[in-house]
Amino acid sequence: MRRDRGRKPKKKICSFCVEKIDSVDYKQYEKLKRFVTERGKVLPRRISGNCAKHQRQLTRAIKKSRIMALLPFSME
Amino acid sequence: MELYEAMIIISPELEKDDHQEVLDGLSSAITKNNGSVSTILDWRKRRLAYEIDKFLEGHYYLVYFSAEGTVIPEVEHYFRVTDEIIRFMVVRTDEQEFEAAAKKAASEAEAAKKAAAEEITAAAEAGEAEVKESADTETPEPVQDSQEKTAEAEVESSGTEDEEDKPAGE
Ligand SMILES: [Zn+2]
Repeated sequence: MRRDRGRKPKKKICSFCVEKIDSVDYKQYEKLKRFVTERGKVLPRRISGNCAKHQRQLTRAIKKSRIMALLPFSME
Repeated sequence: MELYEAMIIISPELEKDDHQEVLDGLSSAITKNNGSVSTILDWRKRRLAYEIDKFLEGHYYLVYFSAEGTVIPEVEHYFRVTDEIIRFMVVRTDEQEFEAAAKKAASEAEAAKKAAAEEITAAAEAGEAEVKESADTETPEPVQDSQEKTAEAEVESSGTEDEEDKPAGE
């Protein structure tokens, strides 16, 4: 199932699993920033490599973080 | 009894000396209703990601308290009627998260002290970083094939499964 076509193969792994994170914390907005685009949208799982569970938690955390003005709302 | 975490932002117009009064008001709203405040963490003044009531920065506090869920509306009422609190959120938490937050706040306070000494350097670096960031392209890495649509749908749908995300005590 490899389709790296000459590109350096890069395995996507969930960084929250790697760090053994139980629940994604909305207060750690510096960390959450890595998972939003410049326009403030949540990076899709396919790109971030997050597992489904952590992606769900991440989406929630980012929402809370936005409510508290720790992260910007996305600019459409 | 549940453990709750309230994050509040106090208006930058309120003098630091007057913060305690706001926090005391919150504490009494909690204790009056048979709850108890375990810790208040000073999360310091931060720049807001967007304007709130025309303010670009605010002073954050984290208030940990245990109470019955019925206390939450009382607490939220206090937030609403207190003009100096420009934004608030109450979420349920647990001992583990509380410990982690306390630890992090302590180390951040330490770091803030150091940073204050090097403020000028830091400000210059931040300015540089901002310029660099905006020059970056939106897509973080090359996209293989044409699965853009699928990914987009994934993001949208993940926004709907959000029931337990409501502020606590509903
Ligand atoms: Zn994971």
